[in-house]
Amino acid sequence: MTTNRRRVAVVGAIAALSVGALAACGGAGGSGGSSSSAAKGTLYYLTQTSAKPEHLDPQRVYIGRDITNLSRLVYRQLVTFPDSADKTAGVTPVPDLATNTGTSSNGAKTWQFTLKDGVKWQDGKAITCDDLKYGASRVFAQSVIPGGPNYLVAYLNIPTNKDGSSIYAGPYDKSAANQAGQAAFDKAVTCNGNTITYDFKKPWPDFPLAIAALHMMDPYRQDKDQGDKSNYSVFSDGPYELQGTWNQNTGGTFVRNPNYDAATDSTTVRKALPNKIVFQVTSDAETIADRLIADTGNDKNAVTDRSVPSSRFSQLNSDSVKSRLTSVSSPYIDYLQMNMKRLSNPLVRQALYEATSPQAWIDAGGGSKAYLPAHSIVNPVVHGYQPNPAFNAPLSGDAAKAKQLLQQAGVKTPYPINFMYEKTTTADKQAAALKSSWEQAGFKVTLTGIDADNYYSTIQKPSNNGDLYWAGWGADWPSAITVTPPLFDGRINLTKTSSQNDYGQYNSPAFNKLVDEAQNASTLDAQTTALQKADAQLGKDYAYVPLENQVFNLLHGSNVTNYLQTPSSNGYPDLGGINVK
Amino acid sequence: MFAYIVRRAVIGVALLIVMSLVTFILFFSGAFDPARNACGKVCSPAQIEQTSKALGYDKPILTQWGSFLAGIVVGRDYPLDKKVREENPDLVTHCAAPCLGYSMVNTDTVNNVLKSAIPISVSIALVAFVFWIIGGLLFGIIAAMTKGSFLDRGIVGLSLIFYAFPTFVVGSLLLRFVAIKWQIFALPVYVPLTQSPGLWFTNLILPAVTLALFYMAAYARMSRAFIIEASTEDYVRTAKAKGVKKVPLMFKHTLRAALTPLVTMAGLDLAILLGGAIITEDVFGFHGLGLLAVTSNSRQDLPTIVGIVLLLSTFVIIANIVVDILYAYIDPRVRLD
Repeated sequence: MTTNRRRVAVVGAIAALSVGALAACGGAGGSGGSSSSAAKGTLYYLTQTSAKPEHLDPQRVYIGRDITNLSRLVYRQLVTFPDSADKTAGVTPVPDLATNTGTSSNGAKTWQFTLKDGVKWQDGKAITCDDLKYGASRVFAQSVIPGGPNYLVAYLNIPTNKDGSSIYAGPYDKSAANQAGQAAFDKAVTCNGNTITYDFKKPWPDFPLAIAALHMMDPYRQDKDQGDKSNYSVFSDGPYELQGTWNQNTGGTFVRNPNYDAATDSTTVRKALPNKIVFQVTSDAETIADRLIADTGNDKNAVTDRSVPSSRFSQLNSDSVKSRLTSVSSPYIDYLQMNMKRLSNPLVRQALYEATSPQAWIDAGGGSKAYLPAHSIVNPVVHGYQPNPAFNAPLSGDAAKAKQLLQQAGVKTPYPINFMYEKTTTADKQAAALKSSWEQAGFKVTLTGIDADNYYSTIQKPSNNGDLYWAGWGADWPSAITVTPPLFDGRINLTKTSSQNDYGQYNSPAFNKLVDEAQNASTLDAQTTALQKADAQLGKDYAYVPLENQVFNLLHGSNVTNYLQTPSSNGYPDLGGINVK
Repeated sequence: MFAYIVRRAVIGVALLIVMSLVTFILFFSGAFDPARNACGKVCSPAQIEQTSKALGYDKPILTQWGSFLAGIVVGRDYPLDKKVREENPDLVTHCAAPCLGYSMVNTDTVNNVLKSAIPISVSIALVAFVFWIIGGLLFGIIAAMTKGSFLDRGIVGLSLIFYAFPTFVVGSLLLRFVAIKWQIFALPVYVPLTQSPGLWFTNLILPAVTLALFYMAAYARMSRAFIIEASTEDYVRTAKAKGVKKVPLMFKHTLRAALTPLVTMAGLDLAILLGGAIITEDVFGFHGLGLLAVTSNSRQDLPTIVGIVLLLSTFVIIANIVVDILYAYIDPRVRLD
């Protein structure tokens, strides 16, 4: 989501939603008049130019909105999430193409799934185990179809080269050099009739969560594969199919797939109610909000993934608009990361945390309508979420305690710090608000706003002169294994030329040990416990400061019924159940 | 004349080659790592290196630039890895000469990407051009002919207002009120001319008016000034003394001299607009060259950025040559050597 200014612009985001608590329209974000289960007319889905889908290829799609839309319309998965607004049920996998949610053995290193009978592609051919296997093989073709989630490369039981890359280069490389890799892949992923078995080199207890949240393990028909040319092709096994082609700049239309058999599916996943779904790429979030507030013509049948910009908040108060607004917390957490090399004194880091006023940041950015305070870098509904015990200071900060800590640290005050953030008009105001809270506590603050195009590449340079960085993140699936390890494990992030996702160059043996423990756990509970301890370690080291959890304020047209934004739809409109009058 | 055009064309081509090199150097001198961006959210250093190699970013800048220039002359095939192409003919995308490269971001050749954006920018620019030339000249002539009157002051004042208004404000207001709230016009969506000339035009009215108001204001003021200046020339005074009436005097004698500097300006302004009216296209969501330039820059899509730079430069170079030629026709005092 480009407008979100987050590193998670490409995130198969998790279901991190406190839907019920926030839903303006009651319940779980449902609204839109009488419930209707009969198939109806055309639903329009509006998105903005700068947030247009980057990939429709199942092995490459990595944006939460696109993952959920494709799941509901065209790409069925082995297992998936139901369209439940319940924050536990909504992130609990249910069978989709598979007969159950998978059977694990060998300490969660082996997973087995059996395909349902009667599931077909849009041309009427049956989906086979080989299609599943071929889909998985495409994840390794990094040099031809890069950009997708590549967790399988790290997990599948295939040897690696000296530099850590897999010896398997994917299905397009038919050279002798790749034959050993192909053989290793064929051994790690095996088919027996309609049953597929994955053999991993390390335990993957949350594998069903991962494949429900991402499309990387979806089946793919080899005869339809044209590599990068297939990026915007859709070959459906879901209730809809793409009519004609997808136009990157304007969108596309999905119509009924005649070879979809609803009997093989569940209505808790896909009700497939509108007869046609038209995706429109249009100008910007302001225009989309104006259109939905005006609620005329086809826009009466429209939903959007664009949150109402704060400039339009004042127009949301009339009853006719309010009843069409749904507010849910987003899957993302914004945080500040400390530079461990430059702020090497733990007392200074603690003082900086105590001096930080997340409330000032929230207020400057639009208040409670725009943000909820965060108490950990992990989103509240991620499996095993708990507030980080280290972050218990008042939301407005504690300047007196911070001053005391600086004194205790024996450093000269005012202590100079350089805060780097991604520059926008709102972020400038928010940074100024933080500066004020820090300076009250004895820091001398330099604000360095960097334009969006260069922000992350700048703070990833190990030699940058920032002491503190703004950043944002969303989990790839509802497990903290996709949050703290990718952000703070120095072993996988830090190289001579880049800090990658570990902007603060944090590299703690204690934390890394807990990550290893989590990655070697054979049960979800054991993994969760280790990750909770890992987050606590980060808090103890004041490696980061949680700021806020953005709120999605989404409008829909007055003809839209059964409107839902669920945890499984990553906070976006859940096309599994939405209908139009 | 022919020698002049050939000479200018050769200089233009040399300029384009230099500009492509400068764009390459500027792109790679930034902190941005295009391979890391293409690789995805969570990538190991080995995976980033693999992606870099596959996209050709591991090679020295001059080598990459050389391959780019070679592609312009002989065309290129993608993916870059010859072995992969030979083993998987279905994967191959052929980019015929003059090939401007392949955009991984758009998963298409830059030529195709530009081909879909050019008609949109050209349409907006041409319709806006017609609006502003007609309006600008008309108001300029009226103001000049009624110099010092209430009408003249009104036109000059209004011009100042429209000139001062930022394009995004005008565009946003037109979109918000004229299209969405009052629904006088449908929400503009680009319709190809070949599909429906009527819809093509009606959908271009709001974006074109947005652009035209700014230029119209400037052209009204300038044409007024040029006309007033030309009307003080001796030959105009002589014509007036000989009894030539006001209107023929304006169109036959004064305007011709006043037009010369305007033609230069109009040619260059049109050339720049053909390269994309960034703000207008962004406000109305028209995927022309302007919006493509913005998205390519934010997504660090080097091949498309280079393609746009070259295309825009070509427009400007051609416009310069055309303007010089027109100049010679309009003003007999000018000779092309």
